[in-house]
Amino acid sequence: MSDLTTEQVGALAAALGLPATTDDLVEVTHRLNALIEALEPLAELPLETVEPVPGFGDAPAS
Amino acid sequence: MSADHSDLAFLSASRISALVRERTVSPVEITRVYLERIERLDSRLRAYITVVPEKALETARGAETAVMRGQPLGPLHGVPYAVKDQFDTAGVRTTSGSRILEDHVPVEDATTISRLNSAGGILLGKLNLTEFALGGTQRFPFGQPRNPWNLDHDPGGSSSGSGIAVAAGLCAASLGEDTGGSVRSPASFCGVVGLRPTWSRVSRHGSFPLSWSMDTPGPLARTVEDVAWLLQAIAGYDAKDPLSSRAPVPEYARTLADGVRGLRVGIVRELTFGPETDAEVRAAVLEAACCLGRLGAVIEEISLRLVPFAGAIFMALADADGAGVHHRWLRSRPGDYDQGTRRRLLTASLIPAAIQQRAARARALLRAEMREALGRLNLLLCPTAHEAAPPIAAARGAITGRHEVAGRFFTRRSYVTPAALAGLPAIAVPCGFTRSGLPISLQLIGRHFDEATVLRAAHAYERESEWSRRRPPGTI
Repeated sequence: MSDLTTEQVGALAAALGLPATTDDLVEVTHRLNALIEALEPLAELPLETVEPVPGFGDAPAS
Repeated sequence: MSADHSDLAFLSASRISALVRERTVSPVEITRVYLERIERLDSRLRAYITVVPEKALETARGAETAVMRGQPLGPLHGVPYAVKDQFDTAGVRTTSGSRILEDHVPVEDATTISRLNSAGGILLGKLNLTEFALGGTQRFPFGQPRNPWNLDHDPGGSSSGSGIAVAAGLCAASLGEDTGGSVRSPASFCGVVGLRPTWSRVSRHGSFPLSWSMDTPGPLARTVEDVAWLLQAIAGYDAKDPLSSRAPVPEYARTLADGVRGLRVGIVRELTFGPETDAEVRAAVLEAACCLGRLGAVIEEISLRLVPFAGAIFMALADADGAGVHHRWLRSRPGDYDQGTRRRLLTASLIPAAIQQRAARARALLRAEMREALGRLNLLLCPTAHEAAPPIAAARGAITGRHEVAGRFFTRRSYVTPAALAGLPAIAVPCGFTRSGLPISLQLIGRHFDEATVLRAAHAYERESEWSRRRPPGTI
């Protein structure tokens, strides 16, 4: 995924009705791009066969 | 204040309870000791948001009457405790560390609070936290919490006051809440014991939510035994929390002294030997592992390849849950949030669905990886944090580039979020000090619902070490 620009982030926030200052948007853009970049290597994993559930019902240890 | 009073303040909760029972110390006397210390020390430490002296003394007088009349006494009878201001307390304001809730006064206690009170605890007050239990608060609305070992350093979060108050002798024990390390991080930085129980072991009813699949109340105290006693008081099914577990709650104290002989313990390579881990932290944690080995545990190394991603996975999932919780206020009251909180929640509100899905699926893989490891091992061992408490100033100011995000948020969270993402119990125990005098912490992660083994191993290590007996300077 290519980097998001501050303008794109501002448009997304506006679409959701989330007020943000210009400084907010600059930092949020850095944060979003960092998160997307940090999770990029996980795309190499066989994720399509894994169900995205937190996982419950573990029995107490015996 | 006399040295005797200081000694009383640093007694373990279990010792205080014993002294109350044998009428050596009165609940009123010990409550006054803590109230006087809070008055004297907390203007610098900012552990408390709200102190309830009249209510505490009234409860203490009732506890004293019960002792004198020979009435049945709960396991925490006469023990003054305090709670993170994320838990509802009937008639006492509960702010979640935010101006948005500064006038919020609940009408009902959280289940954990009612259980601690039923066990005989005496509530001293409500403890400071990062705003809404998210990290990254820039300006704390109720005062900057400070590390008692060095006032210029971070006490950890989000249960900041819960760590400070226990370390500085401003309560006998405390309650925190751990979504992604919020009990263990302050325990680590403040040099006390903190337990994250198995997710669903403790009711979340009456606790302000962050992430429904990870929020877990947990105790902090100066000894492992105290943590076990607090867990005993708060654990178990609660009809008010439909996700709380019906699994039976064992008697934790019964097995606490069973030692570690024969337990299989895996040192997590990525978190212990990785380049992010400070050398002093690594040395202290490996010495603790050797100690467990000398006590009879079987120590080996294990690789968990997904744990370095845990911090980012956590923030993609837990923060998105939080964004949902806060959506209405983010739209209507954005200026009432701290800048750091607002920007974190704004970010979480905009995470693309495909990225969230990737994180959720990776979480399932990470969970399977840890489950497989714990099928063979009894415990995983690693540092609680990659470094000792950093300076408060290190996390101040706007983020000016994406590289800062990894350093401030992902790296350190990767040490505490694996247990959170997998729903596993984990404990932070003091295991040393840096040359500059800041605490270092060992983390032990156990199998689902096997808090008993986690506590037992931590207790065995604690008995062999002396770190828990040290007191922060300026708190005597």
